Amino acid sequence: MISSAGIVATDVTRRFASATATLPPGALIKDGYFTLFESVGALEIMDPKMDSGCLAPGESLDEDYDVTRPLLPSEVLGIIDQLLCLEMAWHLGYPLSQTLFTNVYIEAMLNPYPTTIQEADFIRPRSGEPKAPRDPMFSVLRAYCLGLLKACWYVNERIKFEHFYEEEDFVTNTYRRSLLDDIDRDEIRDEIMAARTLVHNIRHEISDDMAQALGFRLELRTAFLRAIELSELRSNPDSLSLPWVQMKALWDPIYKSRHLGTPVPEAFSTKIQRKLASTMPPRPIVQLSFEETYGHFKKLFNDGIDVLKVLSYSDSQSLLNFVLAFQAQKPQPLVYIRTLLQNFLFKDMIILGHLSIRHVIDDDLAIVVMPHSTLLDKSHDSVELPHDPRFAIAHQMELFRQRAAQSYLDIFRALCQNRCRVRRTFCHSIQDWETVQMDAEEIDQLLQIQLDEKPMAYKTSPMTSSDGTGASDPPAYSLPLSSWAYLYKLKLMEWIVQLGFELETYHPDELAGMYWYLSYLAKTRAQHVERIKAFTMQRLNEVRVGTNGGVRNDNRSGGFLTPQAEAQFTRSLSYLRATILDAAVTWELADALSYLYTVLQREGLVAPPPRPYSTDELRYDIRMKPFAPIGLPELPAYESFVRAATQPESGTAELLEYAARAVVGARKGLEVLSKLSEKEAFAVGGYKRWSDGVKRCMRTGIDAGISIERVRAAFAARAKAGGGEGGKGKLALKVEVPKPEKAYHEWWIVPKVEVIDVEK
Amino acid sequence: MAALPGELKYIQYEHSLESVYLPAIRALISKDLSEPYSIYVYRYFLYQWGHLCYMALNPSDSSLVGVIICKLEAHASHSPPTMRGYIAMLAVSATYRGHGVATALVKKAIDAMTHRNADEVVLETEETNIPAMRLYERLGFLRSKKLHRYYLNGNSAYRLVLLLKQIDPDAATDLSLDEVDTGPS
Ligand SMILES: CC(C)(COP(=O)(O)OP(=O)(O)OC[C@H]1O[C@@H](n2cnc3c(N)ncnc32)[C@H](O)[C@@H]1OP(=O)(O)O)[C@@H](O)C(=O)NCCC(=O)NCCS
Repeated sequence: MISSAGIVATDVTRRFASATATLPPGALIKDGYFTLFESVGALEIMDPKMDSGCLAPGESLDEDYDVTRPLLPSEVLGIIDQLLCLEMAWHLGYPLSQTLFTNVYIEAMLNPYPTTIQEADFIRPRSGEPKAPRDPMFSVLRAYCLGLLKACWYVNERIKFEHFYEEEDFVTNTYRRSLLDDIDRDEIRDEIMAARTLVHNIRHEISDDMAQALGFRLELRTAFLRAIELSELRSNPDSLSLPWVQMKALWDPIYKSRHLGTPVPEAFSTKIQRKLASTMPPRPIVQLSFEETYGHFKKLFNDGIDVLKVLSYSDSQSLLNFVLAFQAQKPQPLVYIRTLLQNFLFKDMIILGHLSIRHVIDDDLAIVVMPHSTLLDKSHDSVELPHDPRFAIAHQMELFRQRAAQSYLDIFRALCQNRCRVRRTFCHSIQDWETVQMDAEEIDQLLQIQLDEKPMAYKTSPMTSSDGTGASDPPAYSLPLSSWAYLYKLKLMEWIVQLGFELETYHPDELAGMYWYLSYLAKTRAQHVERIKAFTMQRLNEVRVGTNGGVRNDNRSGGFLTPQAEAQFTRSLSYLRATILDAAVTWELADALSYLYTVLQREGLVAPPPRPYSTDELRYDIRMKPFAPIGLPELPAYESFVRAATQPESGTAELLEYAARAVVGARKGLEVLSKLSEKEAFAVGGYKRWSDGVKRCMRTGIDAGISIERVRAAFAARAKAGGGEGGKGKLALKVEVPKPEKAYHEWWIVPKVEVIDVEK
Repeated sequence: MAALPGELKYIQYEHSLESVYLPAIRALISKDLSEPYSIYVYRYFLYQWGHLCYMALNPSDSSLVGVIICKLEAHASHSPPTMRGYIAMLAVSATYRGHGVATALVKKAIDAMTHRNADEVVLETEETNIPAMRLYERLGFLRSKKLHRYYLNGNSAYRLVLLLKQIDPDAATDLSLDEVDTGPS
C-alpha cells in the first residue's frame, strides 16, 4: 500500500464489497457530474474491443518483428510505399496510432525518445561501440523515415497552431512519441542526401530502376521539407512553389514504380498501439489503396502550388473570392493546406506576410462604400488638434476598425474550415454582424456630423423596391460603415442557405421555400447595393464639381477629379455593378427553381412525407432558427413564407412562365458576368476557378430551362387532352431531385425531369 | 426479410428486466456499430430513463426483435432551458426489418417524451444510413445541420430535430443548433 506523510490510507475493500452486495446488478451509483461523456469513456476490462491489455489466447503482447533483419531493396520500397499510404490516411484525419505509428521501424526509431540524430535510428548505436558498417538498405529506410517524421512534425505543428477541429478534421495526438521535435531539419536533409548518394553508388547492384525508384522517394522527402521551410517565408509565390512543383513531377514516376516493391505486412502491427499513451484498445490499421493515396497526394501537391497564389495580393475582394472558391473545391483541400492558407492569411496579424489588417479593411471599405474618401485619409492620423474634424475622423475610424476587424477576419477564418463548420459558424456570425452593423451606425452618425453630410433624397430602384413603384424615400444619410456591415451580413445569410443546399440539409419538399428565401435575400442585397451605389454616384458628382465640402483643409476636395480619385471611383463602381449582377443572377436562378419546385409539389411530383408528429409551422421554426434573431432583414412571417412557397394566387401555367422568364434573366446576367475580366470580377489570382463557377451556373441555367420546358410540355399536353388548365390526372413525368454532388453546382439543385410513357 | 411472427409485443423497459434483456439489447445494437459501447453507456440510459426505452418482442418466445433507447433532460445552454429528448440507439433485428417495427418503436418513444413535456427530440445519424433518415423524416424530423466526420469511421452525420412545441421567441438569441455534440447514436 502506498503511504506518505500526511496521508493515512484505509483499506475500504471490505466495506465496499459489503455495500455493493446490497445493490442489484446494474444499479448505477453516480453523482450529478457523471455525464454521458464519462460513460462513453468507461472501459470494460477483458473485453478485447475495449481493454487494451486483453489478449487472445496464445497472443503475445509485443510485436516480435526483428528490425535488424536484412532487407531487400524491394522490401524497403514496399515499406516506403505502405508508409506513403499511411501518411495520407493521417492527413485525411485518422490518428497516428492507426497509421504511421503501426510501423515497427518508426516505433523503434521513436522509442525510446531520440534527442540526437544518431539516436533517431531503429538500430541504435550502443554507446562506446565503434560505428559498424551497416546495410545500405537500412540507411535508405532510415533516411526516408527521418524525412517523413520531420515533415509530420511540421504539419502537426502547423495544424495545431491554426483553427481546426480536433478529431473532426484531424487528430494531432502523438501519444507522447516525438516526431523528431528536437532534431534539426538540416541534419535530416544531410542524411537523406547521403542516402541518395548511397543509392546512386549501388545502382548496378540493385538495378537502375530500383535505384531510381528509391531515389525519387528520398527526393520527395527532401522536397516536402523544403516546401514547408519556404512556406514560412510568405513571399513570392513563384519561388515558394518550386518544391511543390518538384513533388508533383516526382509523383507520377513514384506511382509507376510501385510494382518494384514487395509489401512487408509483418512490419506493421496494431499491437504497437498498446505501448502508446492512450487507453484505446488497438484499432485496425487504416489501409488506403495506393491508387487512393495517389489521388490524394496529387491533389495535395496541386493545392500546395495553388494556395501560394493567395500571397500575391491585389485587393480585398479578390482575396475573399480566392478563399471562397479555393475552399469550395470538391473534395476540399486537405486540412494541412487549409491551415497553411490560414497561416498565410493571419500569421502574426500580418496579412499575407506584408499587409496590415488596417490596409486590407481600408481597401475593402474603399471598394465597397467609400472610394476616395476623406474617412480613409491616412494623413489624418497625424493631426493632433482634438477640435480638428480630421482628428475626430481618424479617431472614430480607428474605433470602427477595432470593432469590425475581428468579425471581418473571422469570415476568412471560417471559410478555411470544413464545409459543415463553415455553415455552422456563419449561423453565429450573422448575429455578430448584426451588432457590428448597429455599432457602425452609431459611428456613421458621429462621422456625418464631422463631415457635415447633407441627407440625400434617395430613390429606390423600381426593379428591386419591395412595392415595385420606386417611390422616393425620405432624405437619408449614406451611413457607409453600417452599409458595409449590412452587406456582409446579407452575404453571410445567403451563404448559409446556399451551404444548406450543398450539404443536403433540406428535404426535397423544402426546396421551393428555401430557394424563395434565397431569392428574397439576394433581392435585399441588390437593393442595398443600389443604395450604396446611389450615394457613391452622388459623391462622385460632388467631387467632380467641387462641392464635396465637409472637412476643411482636405486636399482631396479640390473640385476636380484627380486620376487616382477617378481610378478609385471606377474600381468601386465596377465592384458595385458586379455585385448587383451577381445578386440578380442569384435571385433569378433561385426564383426559377422555386417556381419549378412549387409546380412539382402541386402536381405531387415532389411529395412531402406524412410527418404525423410535426406541423409545417414548427418545421419552419427549426429551419429558420439561425435567422430568427436577425432584425434586418427580418425573417418573413410563416404565413408569407407559405404563400411564397405555394403561390396560391398564380396558376401553374403562369408559374412555369415566370420560371422560364427567370431562367432567361439569369442566363443573360451570367452571360455578362462571364465576360468580366479578372479585375472587373474581383477575381485576381483566382480567375480560373471563379469563371469555372460562372460556367457551372450557366449550365445550371440550361438544365433548369430544360426541366421547365418538359414540365410545360407535359402540362400543355394534359390540358389539351383533359380540357383546359385544370386537366385531370398526374403529369406523365418522373422527377428526381439529384444529390448536390451530381448537380453542375452544389448550390443549385435542379430537378431532373423525365418524360414517361403513359401508354404502358 | 422474413414475415413478422404475428403481432409483436411492445413493452417498456424496466430495471428488473436487465438480466433478461440487456445482453440481447447489447448484441442487437452492437451488430451495426464499429465501436462497441461499454455496459456503462447502456446503464447510463437504462437506469435513468428506462421508461423511455421500448422493446419489440417476438410473441412466440419473447425474444428481442427491436429496441429504442432514449433520454430526456433539460438542455442547459437554453434560456429558458428546453426539455430535450434524445434518441440514443435504435435497432431492429435484420430479419424483421421493413415491417414498421422501428417506426412503431420511435413513435412510442416520442409519445412517452411528449407525455413528459419534451419540447424537442433530437438525434444524430450517419449520412449513409438512408433507412434511418427516411424513417425519421417520415415522422417529421428535419435535418438541422451536418456534422463533419462525426463517427470514428470517418463518416459524417446529420443532426435531426423534431420540434414538438413552438420555440419561445424571447429565447431566440440562443442557437440550439450549435451546442457541443457529444453522445452516441
Ligand atoms: C434503421 C432501422 C432501425 C429501421 O428498422 P425497420 O424496422 O426496418 O424500419 P421500418 O420498418 O419502420 O421502416 C423501414 C421501411 O419499412 C416500411 N414499412 C413497411 N411496413 C411498415 C409499417 N407497417 N409501418 C411503417 N413502415 C413500414 C417503411 O415504409 C420503410 O420503408 P422505406 O424503405 O421507404 O423507408 C434498421 O434498419 C436498423 O436496425 N438498422 C441498423 C441500426 C441503425 O442504423 N439504427 C439507427 C441509428 S440512428
